[in-house]
Amino acid sequence: MDIDFLSVEQFLCDLAVHKVGSLIKSKAGTQQNYDLKTGSRAVDIVTKIDRQVEDIIKSEISSKYPDCGFIGEESYVKGDPRPDNKAFFCVDPIDGTTNFVHDFPFSCTSLALCVDMIPVVGVIYNPHLDLLISASKGSGVRVNGEKYDYGKKIESMGPLLLNKSIVALQPGSAREGDNFKTKMATYENLLSCDGGFVHGFRNLGSSAMSLAYIALGYLDSYWDGGCYIWDVAAGVCIVNETGGRLVGANPDEWNIDIDNRAYLVVRGTEPSAEDEQETYIKEFWKSVKGHLKYD
Amino acid sequence: MSSPKSLPLTKEELKDIESTLINIVKGEVNYLIKNRAGAYFDSYNNKANDVDLVTEIDKKVENIIRDALTFKYPAYGFIGEESYVKGESQLGTDKFWCVDPIDGTTNFVHGYPMSCCSIALVENGFPVVGVVSNPSLGQIFHASKGNGAFLNSEAINILPRQLILQKSLVAFEGGAERTEGPDGNFDAKMATLKSLLSDKGAHIHGVRCTGSAALNMCYVSMGLFDAYWECGVNSWDVAAGACILVEAGGILVGGMPQDWRIPLDNRCYLAVRGGSNPEEQRWFVEAFWSHVKGRISY
Repeated sequence: MDIDFLSVEQFLCDLAVHKVGSLIKSKAGTQQNYDLKTGSRAVDIVTKIDRQVEDIIKSEISSKYPDCGFIGEESYVKGDPRPDNKAFFCVDPIDGTTNFVHDFPFSCTSLALCVDMIPVVGVIYNPHLDLLISASKGSGVRVNGEKYDYGKKIESMGPLLLNKSIVALQPGSAREGDNFKTKMATYENLLSCDGGFVHGFRNLGSSAMSLAYIALGYLDSYWDGGCYIWDVAAGVCIVNETGGRLVGANPDEWNIDIDNRAYLVVRGTEPSAEDEQETYIKEFWKSVKGHLKYD
Repeated sequence: MSSPKSLPLTKEELKDIESTLINIVKGEVNYLIKNRAGAYFDSYNNKANDVDLVTEIDKKVENIIRDALTFKYPAYGFIGEESYVKGESQLGTDKFWCVDPIDGTTNFVHGYPMSCCSIALVENGFPVVGVVSNPSLGQIFHASKGNGAFLNSEAINILPRQLILQKSLVAFEGGAERTEGPDGNFDAKMATLKSLLSDKGAHIHGVRCTGSAALNMCYVSMGLFDAYWECGVNSWDVAAGACILVEAGGILVGGMPQDWRIPLDNRCYLAVRGGSNPEEQRWFVEAFWSHVKGRISY
């Protein structure tokens, strides 16, 4: 099976902007009735719009690419195996559902194609900001359809150093047990003047938007645990195309699968400063207190 | 030299001032903030001139605003982040401008699109006009006392909906002051954050962090956030946002328990959105305060 990544990217962009974007935009802040996905988690929100959007995306994709597999946040059932197709689509209909419910303008749709577990096409669309960012493996990144010159952006950004960086951090919806303790202790350590002493953290409440903002050069890194493949697949493809790097959230996890659940993503650097990225990752890992672990 | 107190400004005069402020930010101020964002990181490293470069843009913006305002309103006082001298206070004066030329300077340096200009007119201790402009996202928030609150000329109206702590989205900042131990307030902030998030604490929907106090105030005003809790900021960070918040039906109280009535330069604040009734707001504030760990002071 031969797939032209750029034509998939174009297809997903059209789908995101024309079939999904207006629905997300018009319904944000109007959904006061929502379900709690897992009984004990009174903060893990899903609305009927999430399901509606995923149905639209799934039916469009499966009629155009019937041979590819599909995994989506809403149709996924815990314990489902990885899709056994070589190529599968990976979809979060609305990433940042809490933002969506509260009308904070950082919810988006996140669409990816993975081949052999590598994200090769990624499309993220935030209809509130009308920001479309897309990439295909080997073909670079486009912002609202225009070629995006990441090299030029990097040149203007200066060196990548932990104590001069802005980091995306999100406590997420799991607030119990050891993972929550590890996250809070790590945040404190990253911020503390005796620890990483980063410039600051930012919390957008959306993994996909955090990754898009790394690609755009607004953020330097993103550290999180508990996300799923559909939260990060599109963003990781885009960040990879800008020279960024994905590793595990825990120290020494240099090589991880895209469904690892716990991640550290770091922006690209100038070609002459390649070791900055590796140094940054090692320094960052020193601030991680505890060990993130997900079933 | 002391001049006799003048009459309070009328609603019409306040609206006129609001328009003047919007026109000021729409010109060179917005241009500088939008186009210079992210442009100084490289030089910022080079301590000799880079920190200074950022400050230079801050000062330049403040001067543009000060010149425009003192030309048109020569009798009013002025307090701005860049020209402020520690200990100096204008709160005793009848009318003064309270200006943060670039709020969210770290965002500005990094090019993260959440920096803004914040201008307020304070009359007898209360912000009566407020304009906050984030040119990166094309947002100008504006309000004046008795005239309502607006985003880009469209009235801000929060649809009434339930306000309770557990279901809330709260703006929370790490801030720049990170001294651990008894000499600082960092431990108390982190303990409060943990209590708000924990399943054994308030278990709120989430926290968001924009890196700009003025924008957090505006997003609470719009109801995008339910509340914003902050300690360590200054009057120019919150004055304009406070006017917009109150005009949009929100309330501003102290960040520490029982501080129902606070002066503008209180340093610790809790802002709570409108779209709810005063009783709900009071319950929310009391529930929130019960998770504040330690007494933060400045």
